[in-house]
Amino acid sequence: MEQFFQQLLNGLAVGGIYALVALGYTMVYGVLKLINFAHGDLFTIGAYLGLTLLASCNLSGMLPLPVAVLAVFVMVALLAALIGFLLERAAYRPLRNAGRLSAVVSALGASIFFQNAVMLIYGARVYVYPDFLRPDFTVHVFGMAVPGVRLLVIAASVLLMLGLSAFIQRTRTGAAIRAVAIDPGAARLMGINVDRVISLVFLIGPGLGGAAGLMVGIYYGQIDFTMGWSYGLKAFTAAILGGIGNIPGAMLGGLLLGVIEALAAGYIAIAWKDAIAFLVLILILIIRPTGILGERTADKL
Amino acid sequence: MKGLHFWLGALALALLLPAAAVAADVKVGLMCPLTGKWASEGQDMKNIVALLVDEANSRGGVNGRKIELVVEDDGGDPRTAALAAQKLASAGVAAVIGTYGSAVTEASQSILDEAGLVQIGTGSTSVRLTEKGLPLFFRTCPRDDAQGKSAAAAIARGGYKAVALLHDNSSYAKGLAEETRAALEKAGVKVIFYDALTPGERDYTAILTKLKAAGPDLVFFTGYYPETGMLLRQKKEMGWNVPMMGGDAANHQDLVKIAGPEAAAGYFFISPPLPQDMDTPEARNFLAAFKARHDSVPVSVWAVLAGDAFKAIEAALAAGKSDPEDMAAWLRQIKALPGLSGALGFDAKGDRVGEFYRTYVVNDKGVFVLQPK
Repeated sequence: MEQFFQQLLNGLAVGGIYALVALGYTMVYGVLKLINFAHGDLFTIGAYLGLTLLASCNLSGMLPLPVAVLAVFVMVALLAALIGFLLERAAYRPLRNAGRLSAVVSALGASIFFQNAVMLIYGARVYVYPDFLRPDFTVHVFGMAVPGVRLLVIAASVLLMLGLSAFIQRTRTGAAIRAVAIDPGAARLMGINVDRVISLVFLIGPGLGGAAGLMVGIYYGQIDFTMGWSYGLKAFTAAILGGIGNIPGAMLGGLLLGVIEALAAGYIAIAWKDAIAFLVLILILIIRPTGILGERTADKL
Repeated sequence: MKGLHFWLGALALALLLPAAAVAADVKVGLMCPLTGKWASEGQDMKNIVALLVDEANSRGGVNGRKIELVVEDDGGDPRTAALAAQKLASAGVAAVIGTYGSAVTEASQSILDEAGLVQIGTGSTSVRLTEKGLPLFFRTCPRDDAQGKSAAAAIARGGYKAVALLHDNSSYAKGLAEETRAALEKAGVKVIFYDALTPGERDYTAILTKLKAAGPDLVFFTGYYPETGMLLRQKKEMGWNVPMMGGDAANHQDLVKIAGPEAAAGYFFISPPLPQDMDTPEARNFLAAFKARHDSVPVSVWAVLAGDAFKAIEAALAAGKSDPEDMAAWLRQIKALPGLSGALGFDAKGDRVGEFYRTYVVNDKGVFVLQPK
């Protein structure tokens, strides 16, 4: 039983990151019906920017550690958001009225561009976050020793997701995003600036992705220029699992995918964990073609 | 119009003449992963071979001909490697060095064989590469079965009784795990756990939790250093102190950086020795030249083996064996050519001869310490 809870926690920590990245895919899909394949690379860029800010600006020397980490989180999120904004302007807006396939090709191109740009700027060798950044304490839950940093990762992911949900559901801007997701034409007739909403979505999604990248850097230490690919693939899967275009769906899908992987690795076979995770995805899509929470329409955000 | 054509033709001839007057350069091809997940290995391979080429040219080249290095990126990917091999074949190279991953080399083997070119693999240790009977294929690295036997011997020497084997499903790591399992069973050591993880991930806690429940007294992960580093780090985070060992793909300076010196302390692996641990004049001279040019030491032994491949080709060309068949026959008979990683020689299959696996232990400061034989 202890092993079960241990695996559950392992899965939730991995799933929290998947969920944060999945939010970026699902929000963009919601408003543009486009899979932003470059999103995983924005996550990588977040991890590298975080390291650059921490190492070269020596923030950790000037401020108390938690404040410095928090400040870097905000800065990375803002920078990643800016890159996301520019990405939309350069790669997607000119193709807004072109076929959907053109936009997908443009997204793949942007992904390759970002990946190689990171490699050329930072080099191919892995980078490692300094160890002192990682909170080093242990929490005892139900007689299990759990590394505190894992609980912090889960808590930070949940907090960011709840904040986003509140923003989308409670604010006027959130309502505008939802309106554009449902019907861009009608939203424009109601006086909503659709271009501005799309820009906003490309600020929020990459911002969260960049923050997730920084979290991975601090927690796991090792970052490299290809890391966005595997996280991006898993997060994309999570978004589909929960119902793409649906924000609570992305969160649920991410956490669920993490837990399924951990339990499959723990109780069946490590080598089969991805196969089992994708099997579950296929089964869910057979029963509910729009994903777990994508009930009424795949378009809702 | 006719006049213009005449002058253009004359100009072209004038440009061609000087090139024909001196002996043509001899081209040597290098195929390595300059991009992709093994890019740091590939860039070192290129740096090392380029350094040796420059040294050879400053000595006057081979038989009065300068050597020109033609580098193609294989991206650590079999499909890209097939293209790279075709490009090298049509570039008119005398022989091809490379490449790193076994599956990647395999994709290029038949293309280069059909093109009739000698190929010397550098980091491709999978057994079957030299079991296909390709007459022009050689490698400067040892085979997985040699490593499997050395690994099993090291485990038996350490007195371990219940070993967990973990690989990453790459043809290299899986081959090594299988060879080790067979050798351990012969030696009477129990393998109580055998599974594979997915490389390139960040979180291996689920795997470690499962491993811990199996209760091994040694974990042998046969894969590469990035995953090894993460396993060590997360193992320590869990507070689990089981000893861990690795194969030669763990022999990379970044291992300690990823794991942190505390988590890496006590980790051991078997590997061919690095030039900085070797005491031959070739290794010392090479290291000094490399440090002078790049201000660092080679990241791993595999990049250095690319240098050995070049040494072999250079020696063959110097002996006047530029025809591929002659070159292959000549390479097969050398037994102790002075290389960067020790005496260089090939057997009838094209495998490197000699036993050169040694045990390294990571000390408290995160330094790889070569153990006495």
